[in-house]
Amino acid sequence: MQELQDSNPNAALAMKCTVQKDKLADAVNRVMKAISSKTTIPILTGVKITSGRDGITLTGSNSDISIQTFIPLEEDGNENAVVHTPGQIVLPSRLFSELVRKLQDEDVHIEVDSRFIAKITSGATEFSLNGLDPEEYPNLPIINGSDAFRIRKDLLKDMIKQTVYAVSVTETRPVLTGVKWMINDGKLSCVATDSHRLAQRSVSVENGEDSGTHTLVIPGSSLNELSKILDDDDEQLVDIIMTTNQILFKSNNVQFYSRLLDGNYPDTSRLIPTESKTTIDLGTKDLYRAIERASLLAKEERNNVVKLRAEGNQVEISSQSLELGRVFETLVPEHFEGDPLRISFSAKFMMDALGKLDAQSVRIHFVGPMRPIIIRPIGDENILMLILPIRTF
Amino acid sequence: MGVIKRLSETLANKIAAGEVVERPASVVKELVENAIDAEASSVLIEIEEGGLKRIKVTDDGRGFAPEDCRIAFERHATSKIHEDSDLFHIATLGFRGEALPSISAVSHLELTTSDGVHPGTHLVLQGGHVIADGLAQSRKGTSIKVEGLFYNTPARLKYLKSIHTELGQMTDVVNRMALAYPHVRFTLVHEQKTVFQSNGSGQLSHVLAAIYGVRTAKAAFPFSGKSLDFKVEGLAVHPQISRAGRQYVYIFINNRFIRNYPIFNSIMEGYHTLMMIGRYPICVLHIQMDPSLVDVNVHPAKLEARISKEKELCALISESIRSAFHRERLIPSVTGKPHSRASKPKNEQQTLDFSPTAVTGPDLSEPIEHSEHTQTEKAFSEQVHEPETHTFSSQMAGKDESATTLEQSVQDTSDVEDSPSDEPQRRMPKLYPIGQMHGTYIFAQNEDGLYIIDQHAAQERIKYEFFREKVGETAREVQQLLVPMTFDFSASEYETVTEYQDYLQEIGLNFESFGTRSLIIRSYPTWLPEGREEEMINDIVHQLIETGKVSIKKLREKLAKMMACKRSIKANHYLRPDEIQALLDSLSKAQDPFTCPHGRPVLVHFTPYEMEKMFKRVQ
Repeated sequence: MQELQDSNPNAALAMKCTVQKDKLADAVNRVMKAISSKTTIPILTGVKITSGRDGITLTGSNSDISIQTFIPLEEDGNENAVVHTPGQIVLPSRLFSELVRKLQDEDVHIEVDSRFIAKITSGATEFSLNGLDPEEYPNLPIINGSDAFRIRKDLLKDMIKQTVYAVSVTETRPVLTGVKWMINDGKLSCVATDSHRLAQRSVSVENGEDSGTHTLVIPGSSLNELSKILDDDDEQLVDIIMTTNQILFKSNNVQFYSRLLDGNYPDTSRLIPTESKTTIDLGTKDLYRAIERASLLAKEERNNVVKLRAEGNQVEISSQSLELGRVFETLVPEHFEGDPLRISFSAKFMMDALGKLDAQSVRIHFVGPMRPIIIRPIGDENILMLILPIRTF
Repeated sequence: MGVIKRLSETLANKIAAGEVVERPASVVKELVENAIDAEASSVLIEIEEGGLKRIKVTDDGRGFAPEDCRIAFERHATSKIHEDSDLFHIATLGFRGEALPSISAVSHLELTTSDGVHPGTHLVLQGGHVIADGLAQSRKGTSIKVEGLFYNTPARLKYLKSIHTELGQMTDVVNRMALAYPHVRFTLVHEQKTVFQSNGSGQLSHVLAAIYGVRTAKAAFPFSGKSLDFKVEGLAVHPQISRAGRQYVYIFINNRFIRNYPIFNSIMEGYHTLMMIGRYPICVLHIQMDPSLVDVNVHPAKLEARISKEKELCALISESIRSAFHRERLIPSVTGKPHSRASKPKNEQQTLDFSPTAVTGPDLSEPIEHSEHTQTEKAFSEQVHEPETHTFSSQMAGKDESATTLEQSVQDTSDVEDSPSDEPQRRMPKLYPIGQMHGTYIFAQNEDGLYIIDQHAAQERIKYEFFREKVGETAREVQQLLVPMTFDFSASEYETVTEYQDYLQEIGLNFESFGTRSLIIRSYPTWLPEGREEEMINDIVHQLIETGKVSIKKLREKLAKMMACKRSIKANHYLRPDEIQALLDSLSKAQDPFTCPHGRPVLVHFTPYEMEKMFKRVQ
């Protein structure tokens, strides 16, 4: 695709193509994820359409990510598009995506003249849109690194889901707004923390052995968008190519570029306690729901604190609000080991962590009322969630 | 027997004193005004116990001729006007002939005066009656000593405030007089301590410095304007130095301090969007006009004035202040000291402009064919092509770019000379981005130091200027109403609306009479915000009554501000280097790049000196 753009220096002149409406709508929809209405470079609010010999490429870009979708002329024996004259144009993205979705006919015909006016016809409808000069559109980063590996799509989505929720949402420490990916010896481990909690997950990847050791920090928002545009064809493999400041995800006619974050990610391994003074096994759903109920009152107090007391093979979850009252609930753990304990923590943090786990039961390790809480799903040693407790007086 | 009697003159004077001599400060005001009217060049005011014990005003003015001394203390006796017609072009501060009799009626007063020709006169009055009369030395000038003020009006005495309050009032009076007459030297002494002194140099800024300190005076920008009937000039202090109250705006008409709401508003209009909401500037405004255009005979204190052609005057004031600010860089500096004057018109070393815009013209995309440089030029033109297309890659590319453009512009200097450095471009210094902090502030530098830019405020300003124009353009569509809207107006409002009916029709408001003071509307323009049509129509009518015209831009300014705010990047928003550059570039094209539409600063400045001080490199 990159070569295609370069081989068409005068492509702006008179582009002409016909595309299937559903294919176009789908492609625009994905690209829209990368287009923000708030930008300091006005042309980035547009979508770039390039039609070439092999098909039609759509590009959207913002500060963090760029997305390119490709509509091949032919796919599985079906004809998707016809390119009459190769060329390119930048069109206002929001308007274009809405109008494509609302068109009635199956085919969309796009014709651009040398003044960047795009005539979009479909059935009896004809739109004339003022486009922008595609030459002014920033180039996408050129990525041709050999540092690459592959991962199954469902696994990638899972990994994103289980780590990205813990990233920091403020830019005060920019590097913490990202998820750290470490590739070493065919194994990918991901860590995210906002300094109050931490999520960690590791998996085996394909082709990872020869790519050596890499550490990179991907913005959390980029990963969120990535997992939204990946389709449900879970068995498929996603190609991941890394450079020093960009990462590229390739899957099924979609190319997803994200910038990487600068700066040193803090060493998180030493933050995770190895010993455990109290260990409790509980049903994931039971615990989640108990905390959810307790948080009804906790929310009112705004601090969102829930208390947990473990004693004599019984776990009590409680919370109170000075104005409204209190809530109290007991759970019987599947397994209990160690010292009795009282601890307070944020209901939101605990629910965030539990909600991302698919396992039936979780094992929770406590070291003391002021030490980190470790949550691991029973039966999967690759996942770890950590929450710091709240000090109450 | 009839009960109505003519009051004795003493009693009449006491009643008049109630209006003229309200408090010790009024005595100071009247006496100082007399001194000014007597063309004094130096006025000394000595006060004891907040003016209750003693007020002494000494000047070096014309003085009294011996025969004038007694008559001056009679009611309605004055040297300032002589006949009816004089009342319509009053060029002196006083004219009513009330001050001296009023003051003498409620105090023990001593007058020592001489016109420098005749022997001097010394006169002592108590409660308005002359109790001693003698000769004095013939030093030219007048000295009036007022003691035991309000000794015979206990009710007035009871309502006086503390010494501090009274002294504060007196200082205000003297401040105003000093600002009104910068060429007169004023000295205010309270209990042998000099409270205020102006140097009489004729420089308004010197007076301002004496009142508010040197820093404020340095931050004051002179402005001036002229129309056929008016001449305005004064000092407008940098918006960074602001006050919570509006009493720091001094308005003088022909050197007379007045309060006038429309003129005050026109000053605020000049500060528009530069001032934070709820803050008011320090500003001194002198208006010179033909005395016949202004009527100051509204109230004995003469604080109010009726002005002919008030609208014209207000427009002139706003424009003068606005254009003064448009010439300046209004970047607040970190030490709270506003930035020094932007452009010194002369003796400026020309510098090369390294900004990419200076070299990326269409001519450069073609290889430049110089015979001896062909090889290198070709190479350059290929590289110069780079900056046109923004690249995503790291800052390294940016460095390369500036290096190439530097050499390019050195080689082809004619190109640089051709690019005109017009006025608005130079207000905003050229900034080179360093990076972003907390996804909120952009750091940038140039030879003058470090600049920190609030990215939201910056884009808000850019978008505001765009939408401000845009919301003024309204479509001509009108929405018909099934049930007409009824508006009830007061008689005077009704008259105005009917007077401007044609004009209102042009903007889509067709008022029809509906009873004595009611009007109805059967359709309204579609651009009125939904649900607030009635409110907006009322606003339009009030704007019409106040200003005689309707500015849709102004009415919808709030909307423009809101749109600007909503559509701008917020805090916590990462920007790529090329996005930062684009933001700074468009900021430099803004009309008022220094404040956001709500008056908050867009950028602050650290000078290298300030940085050096912070790190104790200099003492």
